Amino acid sequence: MTQDTLQKIPVTVLTGYLGAGKTTLLNRVLKENHGKKYAVIVNEFGEIGIDNDLVVGADEEIFEMNNGCICCTVRGDLIRIIGGLMKRSDNFDAILVETTGLADPAPVAQTFFTDEDVRRRTKLDGVVTVVDAKHVAQTLDDGGEAREQIAFADVILVNKTDLVEPAEIKSIESRIRALNPYAKIHLTDRCAIDLNHILDRGAFDLDRILEIDPEFLHDDHASDHGHDHEHNHEHRHDPNPVHSKDIRSVSFSTDRPINPQKFDAWVNDILMSQGQDILRTKGILNMAGDDRRFVFQAVHMMSEGAFTGPWPTSDNRGSRLVFIGRNLDEAALKQGFEACAA
Amino acid sequence: MVPADTHHAGRTRSFSFGDYVVGAASNGRVFGCAFGDGTVRLFDSLTPDAEPVCIKAHAGAALCISADIDKAAFLTGGDDGMLVHTSMLGEAKSLAEHKHRWVDHVTAHAGSGYRVYSVGKDAYVIPKKSAGEPRKLNHKSSVGGLAINPKGRRLAVSHYDGVSLWWLGAKDSGPTLLEWKGSHLQLAWSPDGTHIMSAMQENAVHGWRLSDGEHMRMSGYGAKVRSLAFTRKGHFLATGGADTVVCWPFTGGGPMGKAPAQFGDTEGVAVTAVAANPKLDLMAAGFETGAVILGQPGQDRTVSVAGGGGGSVTALCWNPDGDALLTGTETGEIHITDFRA
Repeated sequence: MTQDTLQKIPVTVLTGYLGAGKTTLLNRVLKENHGKKYAVIVNEFGEIGIDNDLVVGADEEIFEMNNGCICCTVRGDLIRIIGGLMKRSDNFDAILVETTGLADPAPVAQTFFTDEDVRRRTKLDGVVTVVDAKHVAQTLDDGGEAREQIAFADVILVNKTDLVEPAEIKSIESRIRALNPYAKIHLTDRCAIDLNHILDRGAFDLDRILEIDPEFLHDDHASDHGHDHEHNHEHRHDPNPVHSKDIRSVSFSTDRPINPQKFDAWVNDILMSQGQDILRTKGILNMAGDDRRFVFQAVHMMSEGAFTGPWPTSDNRGSRLVFIGRNLDEAALKQGFEACAA
Repeated sequence: MVPADTHHAGRTRSFSFGDYVVGAASNGRVFGCAFGDGTVRLFDSLTPDAEPVCIKAHAGAALCISADIDKAAFLTGGDDGMLVHTSMLGEAKSLAEHKHRWVDHVTAHAGSGYRVYSVGKDAYVIPKKSAGEPRKLNHKSSVGGLAINPKGRRLAVSHYDGVSLWWLGAKDSGPTLLEWKGSHLQLAWSPDGTHIMSAMQENAVHGWRLSDGEHMRMSGYGAKVRSLAFTRKGHFLATGGADTVVCWPFTGGGPMGKAPAQFGDTEGVAVTAVAANPKLDLMAAGFETGAVILGQPGQDRTVSVAGGGGGSVTALCWNPDGDALLTGTETGEIHITDFRA
């Protein structure tokens, strides 16, 4: 991963099950009078209501990269299409990638950290997941990629809220929170939303990861957030897909400063051994001996970290770390994290 | 236009067009260049002072270019889904159209008269004397590169997990699949047609000896290889992707277990394009800085050619007599160097 984000074109990935409202959102982005020009990569032609020569059809092609990273899959079609778009003389401001309803977002995200040409010219801005308020509970119960899509997201639109009762929305929100503590959740009807909430988020810019939902972390201290999950002490991935139901998040915080070497060794070891199961990791850390905040993030095994600037206030420098994944051994991770104290 | 730089070899005329140079090819005395604004520009290599002929061939960006089977004509594919034939007279005509798709790759063989282009997973073969539909060759994944063998009878198509070899003349025949895990892109046949080599998505080159299917794995590159070319007699395969021109020896049993010869150490600047001189044992190499050098495998001495600046070299092409070289870059610089002087 590189930190040089100058002049890179931001890419927003839209995921969500069929019928949740991805196309509605896409059409909204294209029709809104924002003065920006978007290149749109869609999985199926014909759904887009706008005739635009920058709408490109993609056939999802998953490539395994032989780069020593066992879980590293990328979207070969995106590498090809983005390479082609970069040759065009007419500039555009941003790229939107729509995935199929059944797609795992990880290969899409990993493409933007793996291919050198894609990385040089574009940057992943955020993963936006649209869910259908009426059906999301059932979809989550069924397992499959819906959990991945929510767990991976930076922004979640709970759409079609007019079709459900307010109490139901509360329960949907808490289920989403259990899978993903830091995504911004927006309740929408026909995907009506201020586009500033979904575009130009900088969700993967270390400089812009300012907080990891501290409110959630406070809740976490008070309750056992894994409301419908049991601890699973098998750490290795299991070929049985039923285990995908075990996606959840675990988060830790400590007021003691962290030893950078210990943290580096520990988190690398965790990501190398469990990176296939860990979808995303985010942390804001108070490293001993440094006045600046250290921000860490990972997509499966691909990680990066950097000091990004001063703490907002000098008296509150708590370190926070969140893992989202399956088969997470909360007790072992907590112990490991706490052992990183200086 | 920039005056010839006396520190560089040859006499160079430079142009600045501002659009991404997608690729270049030569056909007779004419260089054809395809650009990111969909134009094709034709340069007369023997009359460097003449203005290029500029034709708007595609509505969007051109994506690929090849010399056509017709003299002084070129084929280009674009993201407007068109395969376009452009002649030296400045006439562009469409040979095929695929709505909402991209024509990603194109190649042709003047001797055997075949034109081949690809759209996504399909390659299309157009024989010289055929009025019917082109023959469609399907692959499991998108086509990464096309190359017709030197005799003009066999087509190599790269894709994910290997290379498919097709007989161009045998209409009902299936492909021979050369398998190797990973995504395969640019292809090069050895001049004697005994080896097919592929630059991969990973920083590596993979090759096959056709007589026995023997694999050749070449790795250790710091960047994507992007470009590969055999020296004119096939003694070496020159490759991009490193900060020196890595040349694998193909004499005395092939490159297996041997160290590559090199030339042009540039300390951290990657080679992005290589092109073999058709008449001399000389290789041109372009770098991500826009610089271009001439050199020989294993020889320390290199000669600098005009260029430098303008971003990565994305097109590098000799004329058939090997006395003129065209360089194109990602920011739209074109340099034509005449070595006859």
